[in-house]
Amino acid sequence: MTELEAGRTQALAPVQSGAALRRYRDVLIALIAFAVLASLPLFTGSKALLDFVIRCSAYGLFATSLNLLVGYTGLTSFGHGMFFGLGAYSFGLIMQKLGVSIPVAFVATLAITAVVAGVIGAICVRLKEIYFAFVTLAFQMLIHSTILSWASFTGGDQGLRGGIPRPAFLGINLANHIHLYIASCALLILGLLAMRQIAQSPFGYTLRMIRDNAARASFLGIDVWRAKLTVFVLAALFASMGGMVMALFVSGAYPEFAYWTISGEAIFINMLGGVSTFLGPMVGTVLLLLLNDTVTRFTEYHGIVLGVVILFFALGLRKGLLDFVADWFAQRRDPGEGR
Amino acid sequence: MTRTRTPGISRRSTLALMGAGAMSFAAPWVARAQAKTIKIGMPTILSGRVAQLGTSSRNAVMLEVEKINAAGGLAGRQIEMVIRDSKGQPQEAARVARELVNTDGCELMIDAEASSGAFAVHEVARDLGVFCIHTNSETSSLTADPKQHIPNAFRTARQGVHDSIVGGSYAAAIAKAKGLKKWATCSPDYAYGRDTTAEFTLYLKRFAPEVEIISESWPKLFQPDYTEVVTKILQAKPQALYSCLWGGDLTSYIDQANIYAMFGQMEVFAVNMADYTALTVVKNLPKGIHSGNRYIKTFPTTPENAAWGDAYKAKYNEYPTNWSWENATAIMLMAEAAKKANSADGKKIAEALKGLTIKCPFGADGTVTMRGDDHTLVGYAIGWGTTIPQEPYVPEVKAGDWKTIFELEAEWKKSKGYT
Repeated sequence: MTELEAGRTQALAPVQSGAALRRYRDVLIALIAFAVLASLPLFTGSKALLDFVIRCSAYGLFATSLNLLVGYTGLTSFGHGMFFGLGAYSFGLIMQKLGVSIPVAFVATLAITAVVAGVIGAICVRLKEIYFAFVTLAFQMLIHSTILSWASFTGGDQGLRGGIPRPAFLGINLANHIHLYIASCALLILGLLAMRQIAQSPFGYTLRMIRDNAARASFLGIDVWRAKLTVFVLAALFASMGGMVMALFVSGAYPEFAYWTISGEAIFINMLGGVSTFLGPMVGTVLLLLLNDTVTRFTEYHGIVLGVVILFFALGLRKGLLDFVADWFAQRRDPGEGR
Repeated sequence: MTRTRTPGISRRSTLALMGAGAMSFAAPWVARAQAKTIKIGMPTILSGRVAQLGTSSRNAVMLEVEKINAAGGLAGRQIEMVIRDSKGQPQEAARVARELVNTDGCELMIDAEASSGAFAVHEVARDLGVFCIHTNSETSSLTADPKQHIPNAFRTARQGVHDSIVGGSYAAAIAKAKGLKKWATCSPDYAYGRDTTAEFTLYLKRFAPEVEIISESWPKLFQPDYTEVVTKILQAKPQALYSCLWGGDLTSYIDQANIYAMFGQMEVFAVNMADYTALTVVKNLPKGIHSGNRYIKTFPTTPENAAWGDAYKAKYNEYPTNWSWENATAIMLMAEAAKKANSADGKKIAEALKGLTIKCPFGADGTVTMRGDDHTLVGYAIGWGTTIPQEPYVPEVKAGDWKTIFELEAEWKKSKGYT
């Protein structure tokens, strides 16, 4: 080791230990969050609340994975919902037709998603901005049309009928509401933790660099196409996980899961919660589902109410809720900055 | 005026207080004897393109529930409907259905969802074991497929295969009489359109083997422009046309085909024409379109049916739809089953409902039956007739024969591997 290298190692050491500390902190937060969620059934018998958390898990994984593309890489995908639908359908079909155990179907679904996302991504990530957005949308419509037309295999517009079998494995019976709830929470927390690791890794910072200036990243020797493709496939895997949770919740899969409106919902969730913080989409998910559930209880004109909320965030705050809160804290801490 | 009574508690108010106290102690028992209200949950589509049908389902249900409540309720318990919008999305339908049972405490369920939504609610009924009547899904497999069967779910909607058998035999008779050999079809491109058309042509060819299909068009659901489809059909020069377009699609198709004077050039069989939502919207309703009955107050030609249609019109200022009679029938059957079981308990109602025959304005012979073995409605009025441009729109409807329906349905079930 030369003197120069030794010096560099010394300078890097505190940074690395800082990163390690942050990682432990993330794991700790994840464990606490899981403990809180998992102990919820002990305090409340409300099945509606548990249902709510299960749906939050599905949408939360899906929306956060979209943020890996939108917020971290600057790839605004309009067709991310295809992987949500693909996950739900692959999982449902494998369980119905092959009768394998749930973990096998889970892994197989992830493998299928990775292959499909790899092919679609290889075509899409070469494109920029609006072109990328529209080609992803086109692929989504392709998958949606396939589901509709291939009625003998997918059930067409009636969806996968007859329920998804949920045989017990390792003492976990997902047909039991509490077991399904705990499993959904575990998937959510594990998924979020994994995505957090991706976002905070050197690869995550490469993505941010690509977002800010792809030409510069390329000049620094980064294979931009490969990095974009990698994150496209990774995001698809988490969206697919969300789809599987949803398929387990409704015990079926429906073409609406792969329709463009589901991608629109994920984009709306990101707008609502904010894309500049990691947990923004999660906050957005809780907000949207809460709004949806309460407003539809009282009126069938929920479209108007949700529209007003969108306008408030888009024109009033001009950013997502968590972005707004983060900025507000930053300003309070240091009034001089940000002026 | 001077006060003559001394301030303080008077004898009269003391007595009143004591009385009130006694009442409040006795109240729980009195209330229990009179029974608390029973909540019935109902997810349906109240926003989007088919909101009109969802609203007409709600209207019909409320019309019947008022009558039952006035007559003492469901086994002595007043009915309270909890009706919520699912936006036509299956995952929302499932969520709303679960919420209605788990949070709102609904003990019974009317599932007024279409197609995939009905299957989503069916899974909820399987999961929670709640008593459930599907009122709008016509997909035959929902009750015909034994894999779908659960003891707590029923269907009071018409069934696709019944419609096809009646439509096929009616059309075949006319094809033979008028020598219509070359047929074209034009139906929306999704499961309902594809399946219904396939079943119709199956039975048409069975009764009239000389028929051949020379042109098929599959416009997209909710397609605004049909010019291409209309010209394609005109070029093929068929003698007859079958279509299962419905609602707004059917009315815009007819308006656009009228420009090409299509209806003078061939016999048209449009199964979904005879519904007020289509009949009253078409600008120039051509004379002589053959249609199945969806809901029309002149068929069955009984005073009960006419009175029901008029009562609905008087209350809501519009005519009922196909979904209306299906939902009204669900409430009628539920009430009768509760009376028979002398209970509002879902399990007991389900038991009593099996094979139950009730008097009903929409019955072919004044009654309808909930068939015991597959939990689906039979004996409802089903027939075909031709249109005229003004009320009563379809003056004469030729009733389908339920004996033939049962025979061919059994055969169809066998061919599908359901029995």
